[in-house]
Amino acid sequence: MAAAEIEYVSYGGEHHLPLVMSLVDDELSEPYSIFTYRYFVYLWPHLTFLAFHKGKCVGTVVCKMGDHRGTFRGYIAMLVVIKSYRGRGIATELVTRSIRVMMESGCEEVTLEAEVTNKGALALYGRLGFIRAKRLYRYYLNGVDAFRLKLLFPRPDPALLSANKDGRHKQHAENSAESSPIYI
Amino acid sequence: MATNYEGGGGGGGGGSGGAAPPKSIPSGDDAVWADAAPLIEAACNDLQEGELVHGENFSLFAAMSALEIMDPKMDPGIESSGYCSVDEAIENGIAPVPLSFDRTVDVKHTLDVMDHLLACEATWHNGHSLAQTVFSCIYILRIERTSPHPLLHSYCRVMRATCNAVVSAVSDARTHEEEDLFTMSYGLPLKDGGDDKCLSILNSVEETVSRQLRACKAQPSKKKVLEEFESLQTNPDLEEGYCRAVLCRLRFRKHFYHALTCMRKPQGRGLELARKHIAACLSELDNMFKSLDFLRSHSFYQESAVTSTTASGCRPIGFDVSLNSRLLSPTPPRAVKVLSWIDAVSYFEKLLHYLDTICSFSLDPALESVLHFIVKFQLSQPPLVARAHLQLLLVHDGKLYGRDSFSDVIARSLALPDVTKDKEFQTNEFVLQLGQLLINLIKILCANTAWQRRKLGKILQDWSVISIQLELALKREFGELLNSSVDESVCMKVSKHLLMWAQEQTYWIALRFLTLGFELQLYSPSEYCMVYWYMYVIFMKQVETMQIRIVTGSDSSRRKGKKKRDHHARDSGRDAMASSYCLLLQCYMCLSEGLAMMLAALRNESNAFQMLNIFNSEQERFIQHFELLQKAQVPEHISYHIFKESTAHACISDVVKHNYFREAQRIAASLKGSFSADPERLAELRLIEQVAEHNRIALNVINQVGAGDPTLRVPLEFTHHNHFVVAVVKRS
Repeated sequence: MAAAEIEYVSYGGEHHLPLVMSLVDDELSEPYSIFTYRYFVYLWPHLTFLAFHKGKCVGTVVCKMGDHRGTFRGYIAMLVVIKSYRGRGIATELVTRSIRVMMESGCEEVTLEAEVTNKGALALYGRLGFIRAKRLYRYYLNGVDAFRLKLLFPRPDPALLSANKDGRHKQHAENSAESSPIYI
Repeated sequence: MATNYEGGGGGGGGGSGGAAPPKSIPSGDDAVWADAAPLIEAACNDLQEGELVHGENFSLFAAMSALEIMDPKMDPGIESSGYCSVDEAIENGIAPVPLSFDRTVDVKHTLDVMDHLLACEATWHNGHSLAQTVFSCIYILRIERTSPHPLLHSYCRVMRATCNAVVSAVSDARTHEEEDLFTMSYGLPLKDGGDDKCLSILNSVEETVSRQLRACKAQPSKKKVLEEFESLQTNPDLEEGYCRAVLCRLRFRKHFYHALTCMRKPQGRGLELARKHIAACLSELDNMFKSLDFLRSHSFYQESAVTSTTASGCRPIGFDVSLNSRLLSPTPPRAVKVLSWIDAVSYFEKLLHYLDTICSFSLDPALESVLHFIVKFQLSQPPLVARAHLQLLLVHDGKLYGRDSFSDVIARSLALPDVTKDKEFQTNEFVLQLGQLLINLIKILCANTAWQRRKLGKILQDWSVISIQLELALKREFGELLNSSVDESVCMKVSKHLLMWAQEQTYWIALRFLTLGFELQLYSPSEYCMVYWYMYVIFMKQVETMQIRIVTGSDSSRRKGKKKRDHHARDSGRDAMASSYCLLLQCYMCLSEGLAMMLAALRNESNAFQMLNIFNSEQERFIQHFELLQKAQVPEHISYHIFKESTAHACISDVVKHNYFREAQRIAASLKGSFSADPERLAELRLIEQVAEHNRIALNVINQVGAGDPTLRVPLEFTHHNHFVVAVVKRS
């Protein structure tokens, strides 16, 4: 099955909602109400993507973005690819599309949480430039720790252009040591 | 428009039939009661499934957050199974007292309750709420009911008193931010004024059963035993076994409670006695474990030994997990999986060993020893209850061990003569502030390492600020008086040393922050280079500062010729220790620099080490990892550009020439004499030597093969040291 056979589509409306929901319900462990899905896809439809193979929805990514303590930040809430389609870069493509929209919309950074045991996710996001900013003790109800992953976009920094001798440049205002609210 | 219903959920007037509002509620001058039921019903009919109300003050986010799935208080869709109240459960015979009218069965059931409670307690300690664990036991929820049953009653009372003591300890320590589920006991009958008496009740029950056991063993005829004494149960052949099973459980409870109480005595006064109780606990846990075969062989067990929450393998009576979910504030919707009894026993064994380690601590007044002890203690990730008790021992009443003021601690750490007794020093505002920072630091170091690292990053700012303030004060007060009289020079010297000491502590914190990143697996291998480089830079500053402080400290003590010989010996002893520690830091510095340069060279020369730059580059990752250090300027004048300059031209042949790893080995070897009395330090030196050796060899192999060789693979492994990686050379 060639990569070209996968069709990537931006969230198009109500008809996509049950596809997203059933994928996430089947594959992820957290129970979400329909209100949670609506919250994301109504407010940020341009950040949700679906992957189709021959008319069947095989993957989806659901995100949001907004101001968080003075930083305009994107957040990846859910990422799912059905088991039989994994390992083909579909998740990477879905995430990449969302992140690109976030970048173009002016986000300064993107964040998400992932279980420390989720090697696949950690490798995927690591390749895209995310770092493990924090470890969250017993974040999940099953007692597993999480990493808060963060991707910082490059900024055109005026201070850099006129750098002083030691190359020090202005630091970003955000205090990344504050913990952000738990979205789900 | 308003409605009001008397009583709890569900009762009261005004149903959907549009009945008149209850007359008992008066209308006021500005308020008129109107029945809103028909309006609400119409609105409900208008909403389809999955649709939301939203308005100006009720956003989609609010709608989503308002709903908590599976919480029966908030999710009307969740099936209400089980009993609506404790009383209803009791009325339905869920928790009978006695547990059975057949005394043998009664003892069996009581043992099962005790065992399941232990499993619940361990489950609670491991991160679940009291409401879903220990207090899922109806006998504990309604302890008064168990009064006619001395065995169960005494066990429950001591159990509850223990939980209360542990909740107090963890609350007092306040290191439980992410673990706050632990102390949540809203609405639970956790406290009871009479719990002090619980031990005497337990003692008398213990005495009774103990007598019965002695009688069992003394009498040739077992039948006679039952006739003469009040037996535990009715089967003479089983009396001894059940007595033993009961006794070890009672004794464990008793000694555990005593151990915790002793440990809370201030200034470590109760530690020796606590150790005795801990030893008794471990012995009783062993007896409990031994009772497993007996109990299983005399029960119709339902579960395997590995999964059962009781030793007998039977499911206990008297527990209902869902009861509390209806009554109390947050119980997470997920069902709690109670630990197996065997795992619970293992957990308590582990906990007791940690508590014993705490009780064995010598209460060394030296700050360095305290910090070293905490760091070592934390290596094996001790449980919350252990960490909380450590913190309470170390910091009590604003003093170290509740005994030494932190001004004294700092004075001792400065290792300057005469400072310890100096009243002015004790009350100096900087010293007092630094004391507060130390208290905060110790508390943070006792927290779980994930939370700890975040806090350490934050406090760098506080330490940095106080150093800046110290420096400014120094310049202000002594700027013009540099070559003045001896007295002022002493004061100036103390201030200078205080500044250097504060800077050294800041570097120590920064290094702990960075090295914890390895333990928490926060770095990917492509980031090791920049981390080791940063560590190298900080080690260098720390060593510099320390060397100046040692040298200027010993200079003046030599100048003061009038001192007694003892002082000289003590000072030179202190100096020697400080010098040794300084050399150890240099060792780490060489290792860090070597690793940074080797990894940089590999990146420059080998394709295998190239990083993709899709959405950002190494610079952004550098900024993120070291943001807090940069913000606090620890150290000053460090930036990504300096890092790049230092590493952009690294090549393997140069790294080989510089011989960083050889240097580390040389220093480590030279330190063996100084640390001969310290087995831990010796072990650390051995690890350093191994890391250095393996890396030196790997480096040589890479140099011979050529870093650009496409068949070269260099995986990095933490096989010897948890902070310093070892390069392994492979050809594919």
